[in-house]
Amino acid sequence: MAINEPSDNLPLAEVLRAANGLVTAGLIDDWALGGALAAIYYVEPFTTYHADIFFIPKDKGLSAGIPAIYAHLQAQGWRVEREHLLVRGFPVQFLAASGLTEEAVREAEQIEYEGVPAKIFRAEHIVAIAASVGRARDKARIEQLLQPQQADLDQSRLENILQRHNLKLPQP
Amino acid sequence: MKAEMRQKLAREPFAEKIRKVAQLIRLAKTFPRRKRLTPAQPHGK
Repeated sequence: MAINEPSDNLPLAEVLRAANGLVTAGLIDDWALGGALAAIYYVEPFTTYHADIFFIPKDKGLSAGIPAIYAHLQAQGWRVEREHLLVRGFPVQFLAASGLTEEAVREAEQIEYEGVPAKIFRAEHIVAIAASVGRARDKARIEQLLQPQQADLDQSRLENILQRHNLKLPQP
Repeated sequence: MKAEMRQKLAREPFAEKIRKVAQLIRLAKTFPRRKRLTPAQPHGK
């Protein structure tokens, strides 16, 4: 099979459609694409092996409605493998948003991907979330997003988010 | 990679970038990275 055939592509449109379906089904209030794939919206592409969907739970209980989300997607043919749900073999993690990530969902940018309406974390929130997590890969993500030839960050928005959430960027 | 090339890649449409991610995943599967050799395993044994 040729490398550029559509079937070789990541099933991202299916992931986004499914997330919209969770809202329609009344299982979640809102959602946005976060993590590495959201960063790739702003910077040059790099290798990543899964998608992160952050959602605002409808069910405010401890489980955040995750069992119902899993059941809903499994009924549509998704498979479960450890902490991921798989669509066409591509792992997707559904993460309940709170605090900074909830704000990132609420203020996410509206996009359309292959005809599917979707929301994606803003670059400034991706940087702030990476600063709050602080792993080596998060530091690398911050460095990449801050490079002038990559994402066009809104510096005042970033500083506002960092200040409100009491975060600091790692020293280079 | 040159800064101009990286900027060009960063400015590509999202759908094109996702296609490139898929290609990178396939390449990584085809040519997996070799583990770094440690001093205790100088010949990869």
